[in-house]
Amino acid sequence: MIADTDMAYLDWNDSLNLLNRANRASIFALIIGPKGTGKTSLVRKFASDTHKQLHSINFSLRTRESHLVGSKTMNRGEISFVEGILIKSMKEGTILYLDEINAADADVLLRLDEALDDRRQIVLKEAEGQTIRAADGWFVVATINPLSHAGTKELPPQLLSRFPVRIKLDYPPPNIEMEIVKYHVNVNSSQEKELERAFKLANSLRDAAALEELYYGPSIRESIAFAKLISQGMPIKQAAEVVYANVYEQWGEVEYRKVMDMITSIFG
Amino acid sequence: MDNLSLEYGRKNFIRNDVLVNLATFLSRRWSGNPKTAVILVDGKIPFTNIQKNIISLPSLSYYAGTQFQKYRQWRASLWYESMRMAFSTKVLSYDHAFGYILNSLESKRIEVLGLKEWEGMENELIFNEGISWLTRPLLNSLYGKQKIIEAFSQYLLTGYIKGELFGSELERVQNAVNFGNEIVREAIGKSLGTDWLERHIPQIIKLLQINPLVTIPLIMPKSRIGLSLSANDLVNQIQKISQKKNKEKTRDLIESLVEGNRLVKEYESIVRESTRSDNKGYGSMEEFGLSVPDSQFLDESIIYDKDLITRLKAAVRNWKIGWVETHEESGDELDVDAILESQAKPFLTDYKNSVKTKIALLLDHSSSIEDEEIEYKKATIALCEALKFLGIKFAVYAFSTRDRKVKCWVIKRADENWSPMNARNLVQIRASGGTPLAEIYNLLLPVMKAFKPEIMITLTDGEPSDYNAVRSIIATYKSMGIHMLAVGMGKNISTAVNIGQNLKGLEFERTLAISRLHDIPNRVLSLLKV
Repeated sequence: MIADTDMAYLDWNDSLNLLNRANRASIFALIIGPKGTGKTSLVRKFASDTHKQLHSINFSLRTRESHLVGSKTMNRGEISFVEGILIKSMKEGTILYLDEINAADADVLLRLDEALDDRRQIVLKEAEGQTIRAADGWFVVATINPLSHAGTKELPPQLLSRFPVRIKLDYPPPNIEMEIVKYHVNVNSSQEKELERAFKLANSLRDAAALEELYYGPSIRESIAFAKLISQGMPIKQAAEVVYANVYEQWGEVEYRKVMDMITSIFG
Repeated sequence: MDNLSLEYGRKNFIRNDVLVNLATFLSRRWSGNPKTAVILVDGKIPFTNIQKNIISLPSLSYYAGTQFQKYRQWRASLWYESMRMAFSTKVLSYDHAFGYILNSLESKRIEVLGLKEWEGMENELIFNEGISWLTRPLLNSLYGKQKIIEAFSQYLLTGYIKGELFGSELERVQNAVNFGNEIVREAIGKSLGTDWLERHIPQIIKLLQINPLVTIPLIMPKSRIGLSLSANDLVNQIQKISQKKNKEKTRDLIESLVEGNRLVKEYESIVRESTRSDNKGYGSMEEFGLSVPDSQFLDESIIYDKDLITRLKAAVRNWKIGWVETHEESGDELDVDAILESQAKPFLTDYKNSVKTKIALLLDHSSSIEDEEIEYKKATIALCEALKFLGIKFAVYAFSTRDRKVKCWVIKRADENWSPMNARNLVQIRASGGTPLAEIYNLLLPVMKAFKPEIMITLTDGEPSDYNAVRSIIATYKSMGIHMLAVGMGKNISTAVNIGQNLKGLEFERTLAISRLHDIPNRVLSLLKV
């Protein structure tokens, strides 16, 4: 089956089911997994299944409290308060998706903590101290990359405890990766065999990256890109080089050659 | 200069640390065992210690042919040993018949299993078989039981024998090989392992009519017989092997296989990496009177503290970017703070982390650290891993006393990449003797003139035996533009502070006192913030 929407998601380790249960029980959920394992796809699929609006924010060091909570602005001589995404989501009872929450600055996390505790409310010191209470059905799901990823830091324990449902999302086993890729690309049986070999390569590189022997591990996106290239007739080894190996050149010729050796060992 | 470079000139010189670095990466991926360590042991046949996760390989000079052909055979040996690591449960010694036969059967089994996953290795294995065939001994030159066992191995692995066997010898070998092939096929078909094969070895020994404990002389790819054969002979041999394996190839394909086009760029990049050097004309470390640890049969894992390394790497992650961003409020308090509070805090302070710095580390291994030697080594290994992770260029030296002589050991040269081989260098330094700092600094002076580090950090736990001499040599280092820093280590806070004070008296630019060894990495890294 070829997916034509962004909603294509293969729930291979029952994560969707877990998220639905957490939602029904009003327990916030945290998804932990390396990049490119489909965390965002999972949340989008979940939101679409529950027919709820999804408010998303992608955290970085540059994310400010005001992005979350809101800030005062001057408009035609009038000072007014413009709500941030957290307040909007609480008021409307939507799904709030906090992507890469552990990339955020401590100040921002502290403010978030206030809203996530059992009272589900936040006092807006920015807007005359009014208290915002979350509407029924408000649900929060956050994702974190494992600590070994650049730019990430540990989540403070009090914030961690606001997400008692923790879903681990790792790279899928090859047969599942094959299904996921086939969602996106039409492949024939001989290309399927080449894809199996590409997954073997990708998994080896992921293992090396997890051990920090390489600076980067390929995601499922790379597998899909590889499949698309070979389905357009690109020679296998060239596709593998373009998708999997060339990126390592930036860390020096030896790093690149190590990966090329893996490609030679697999594809000849 | 070793015999490789003598033989082929500087342009084809390959450094062992470059080989080990690549081999460790490849063997871990091929075998699927992330703990695999590769060591180079000159003159010994390739061997795998499965329990200790160690693959030992000879250096390139062990193999025959041109330097590139040697590299290809070496890589094929690495692959075979990695497959043993992946699929075997034991590897017996090659020096008696029982072990030799089992290992031969296993070679056949793991080759079939390995090629299912690493199909691209097929051509390299054919090349390897072809070229090593040329160096296998002629049976006519062997006698008695050894001849039978070598004939068994040749016939089992390739389907040929080199030379002649007569009468009942040929029959015995053929029967044993037929039986061997049968059980290897059965083992693969039914997913049976090493132990199952081992149970059938007595039957093979019976068919060969030999004593299981017969000693096998060191085998034999070392033999140079046949090396006079031309490249054409090699092509013919490879064609023969391809036919035997039902992988018949055209003459052009065979010639391209012999040339090894697929690996030539990899080989060239290894040669380039090996010749990359910052020694600026100085040949080897030994020329400076420094010592290079040379023991290979060591397990460096006892000083690898993975938790410590992971924690440290997580702590220094910001350093990789080179800048640390912190959010600070500044300015006097105003009545309008309610307005200020409602705004984003706009003041950012950026600190520069000196990642581009070149560092020399000198580790005290005097007898006073003997009690805590392992902890000390673990901390310094974690520090080195963090420096490597950050891409900082660094060299590591250690000093101790051996045979009543002061030795300054080269743990890691400035121009090599940090690898487990360097940890192996460190693990074999035994803490002993005093703290003759001035002598050591003098020994290191010419190396430092070549390397020109911006910072030299000395980790020590004792008072130097020669105060005035140390002061004067530190002044010399400073005059070369090297920032001299020292870290004093004490068993408790008061000793550490005392040592720190003493170091200050030696006119180091900065000194630190540490009483907990695992603080070493973080404290040393904090010295690099400017």
